[in-house]
This record gives sequence, structure tokens and C-alpha cells, in this order.
Amino acid sequence: MSKDTVTQYWLGALTVVFLGLGGFFIVNSAARPAAGKEIPLVDVKFLDRTASRRTYADLVKANEDLSDYDCYGCHEKGKPPPIRYDANQKIIVPKEHSDVVMGHGSHDRNNLCYNCHNEQNLLTLQVRDGREVGFDNIPQLCGSCHGPNLRDWEAGAHGRTSGYWDRSLGTADRLSCANCHNPHAPRIPTRESAPAPHSLHGPAGTSSPHETTH
Amino acid sequence: MTPTLPPPDDKTSDTSMSRRNFLRGAAAFGGLTALAASLAPLRQLEDFSSSEQFLQKYYKELTPDDMTKVIGRIEREVQKEYGIRPHVRDLKPMDGVEFVYCLNLTRCIGCRKCVHACVNENNQSRNPEIQYIRVLKMPHGSMDVEKGDHTYEAKSVPEKGFFYMPVQCQQCQNPPCVKVCPVNATWQEKDGITVIDYDWCIGCRYCEAACPYWARRFNFTKPEIPKERLNPNMAYLGNRPRKQGVMEKCHFCIQRTRAGKYPACLEVCPVGARKFGNILDPESEVSYIMREKRVFIQLKEEMGTSPRFFYYFDK
Repeated sequence: MSKDTVTQYWLGALTVVFLGLGGFFIVNSAARPAAGKEIPLVDVKFLDRTASRRTYADLVKANEDLSDYDCYGCHEKGKPPPIRYDANQKIIVPKEHSDVVMGHGSHDRNNLCYNCHNEQNLLTLQVRDGREVGFDNIPQLCGSCHGPNLRDWEAGAHGRTSGYWDRSLGTADRLSCANCHNPHAPRIPTRESAPAPHSLHGPAGTSSPHETTH
Repeated sequence: MTPTLPPPDDKTSDTSMSRRNFLRGAAAFGGLTALAASLAPLRQLEDFSSSEQFLQKYYKELTPDDMTKVIGRIEREVQKEYGIRPHVRDLKPMDGVEFVYCLNLTRCIGCRKCVHACVNENNQSRNPEIQYIRVLKMPHGSMDVEKGDHTYEAKSVPEKGFFYMPVQCQQCQNPPCVKVCPVNATWQEKDGITVIDYDWCIGCRYCEAACPYWARRFNFTKPEIPKERLNPNMAYLGNRPRKQGVMEKCHFCIQRTRAGKYPACLEVCPVGARKFGNILDPESEVSYIMREKRVFIQLKEEMGTSPRFFYYFDK
């Protein structure tokens, strides 16, 4: 075989190989980035920054319906409403106040409405030493028992804050006790957790060896 | 009549298309095709850096005029991509300010709202997901992060017998990530925030490996941010959209905090577990907490990183 013929065969073979590779690269989908799996956008309820509850002060500020606080629309002035207990000394919540859940303090020991409400004037609250406190000034009432929490709240170390940390540039919005705590059942209720991170490989949660713990 | 074929013309066929010439041509064509095909993936690099960005100087060498131009370019690019004109600023550290974050482990309920408020504020990729905060669920009585689970799903939190510890960039006073960066694309500013210049980062991921808190994230693909969730209030060293192939991490919401506001994760926390402020101001919340509260360790204190992120307890 002459040298030229060998070269020709080589070139022919190379042409076939190159054309084949070219075709392979063009049609090969593995060379493209694989499409990721769909991840749903997080529900906007998890982005909500508003307070979980609205206080009397909020309603006054927003100029809203205050009929819930119009005690003497039903009660008679100068006549403290009686409080009834069942056989286990558990308070019987009247059906007009069925939205009230008695859950302040453990073992149902804090079961007297007038520990906080003012029996002489239902439009105000009172601390145990008899000082009257308005519905718009509840930290003073709560702090009469929960002193350390009031101290921390006043220092900004307890409770929710938003706005400006630099008070020379703007104001900070400090939430009040009842913006987070239900005064009748102050423990923060449990809630649904926002979705876990979606792992790149496999469904969320599979990468963890501690999944069996709950 | 018999058709008369022209006599074979050896000369013509030899010069115009010999077997050898045909094979040479075919080989050259095939080779070029293969080359073009092998370069085809480059077509998918649609956000190939503009020459402006490629020629941009190092952040610390940019004059105010340069910065105005750079911000103009970023605003143009974001508008082209998302159809929204952003407000990009280059916010400098404030004098007499050093930021500290305090997180109350007694209060945290593990609801992960901070994680998603952060993603929303800082324009992180939604797919694949990039999140700066990981919430570790840990059994009571243990402080062992090895036992932490950050992939828990719960219909109701907090779960009995567990506590929750959110971990994000600790803004170390002695940051290992800064030391390993071969191009100085990440550094600590005087207000304590360790920042990244996304236009200077080469994507080597050394910093990700150096961080003992797994606080740094890498953009393996082009970040995917839905237009309707884009936050147009942006900062150059903060939440402007990133490119494929660069690192990112928590920067204490630089676009908010250097304008005097609280970070997004703090404002969304439903139990007020997160506290932030200027540690150089003795009247600030964080100063009070450091003075009065049971502030535990800096996380992984033994690493010598000295975080500016503190965990504390109420009772």
C-alpha cells in the first residue's frame, strides 16, 4: 500500500469520526444542564410581618369598631358582675363572653376576672394595689406581675420591634403585650412551620439521619 | 441515434474533485462542525459578562464617578432582565457603629419565617433554593449541632422536647472566609459586616469550605427570581441579583441596616426572638442584652472566629 493510500484511509476514518462526534454533540441532551425540579413559591402568609393580634390602642388608632369594649352597653354601672364557679373552683365563662379562653397561669389558679379587670369600672383595668390602668396602657398592668418582662420590654429586649434601629433616622414601632399574647391565654400558640429547604438531590428531609426523631 | 458521451477528461476531474481533495474537505468540514458543536453549551451563557463589567475595577478602587456608572449599569441590567427599575445604592458603613445580632433561644419556635423573609428581602434564587438561614432543631439538653436537623417539617411548632437554633453568617471578628479568598473579593467592613463583591468573585468556593458555620452559598446555576417577588431596594454589596458562579451570604441586610433599619429576619419574627443593633451604643437593645442577659458562647467559640452573632436565654 502506498503512503498516499494510507493517508487517504486515515483521513476518511477521521472524517467519519468527526462527523459522528459532531452529530452526537448536537443531539446529545446530556451535554445540556438538566432541568431542575419544580419548587413552589413560599406562601405569602409566611412573609407576613403584621402583629398576630390587635389591641385596644390599635383599634382606637385605626378608628375602628370599639363595641367589644362598650361594657356598659350590657352591664349595669356600679354593679360588679358576679363570677360563678363550678364544683372544681373552675370559672364558668358566661356565654356572652364565650370567646374568652381561661388559660392565664397554670393549674387554673388565676381564675378571678378582677385580678386584672376593674370591678368598679369595667372600662378600665386595675393592678392588685388598686391602681387603675387604661386599656391603652397594658404593659403597666402586665408588668405589675411580670416585672422582669416589663424591664426587658422597656429596654427593647423583649417583644417585637420594627422600623429603625437608628432612632436618629426614623422611629421604631414597638409592639405591646397584647399584640402577641392573648391576655386570657398568654402562651404563644403553636403554628405551622414554613417549608423546609428543598435539597438538590431527592425530596426534602431524606438527607437527614434524624428524621425518625418526631 | 446513440448518444455520444463526452470523452472522460482526466484533467478536469483530477483538479476539481479528486478523492483526496474530497476527503480533505470533508475532514476539515467535519472537524469544524465538531468544534462548533462542542462549543454549543456556551450559547446558554446568556448573561455573559458585559465588557463594562469585565473591565470594572476593584470595589475599593472605584471612584464615586466610577460607582455612579457601575450602579447605572446594574440598574440597566436588572431592568432588562426583570422589567423593574431598581433603586441600587452603595451604602457605606456608618461612623461609630458596629453591628451585633442577638438571638433569644428561649423564644425561638422554629417557624422558619425568618428564612423566607430573608429570601424575599435579599433576592435569593428560588430554584435551586438559596437560603442564608438554617434553623436547627435540637433535642432539649443538648447543644450539639451535630444533632441538629434543619430539614424538619412540622404542622405545629415548637415540637415537644426540642428547641430551635437559627444559624446564619456570624459576621466573625476574625473571619476565616476572608483569609482564604485568593482575590480579596470578600472582606470585613468597619461596621463588622463581611461583604462580597459579586463582580470580583471568581467562584472558587474556598470561602465556603473555610466557613465553620456553613453560612456561604454558591450559585451553581443562574439564580431564578420571579419578577413579582423581586425586591427593588438594592445595595451593591447587598441584595442586587447575583450571577451564576459567585458566592453569596447573609450581610445583615446591608440595604436596610446601613440606612438605619432593622434586618428583615428580625421584623418578621413572630415571637421577637431576634435583636439587632449597635454594640457601641450603650443604650441599644443589644448592649442591654449583653449586660443583663445570660448570653451563651459564640457558636463554635473554639474556632477562634469570634462571631458578632450571640445566642442568649431568658430564664
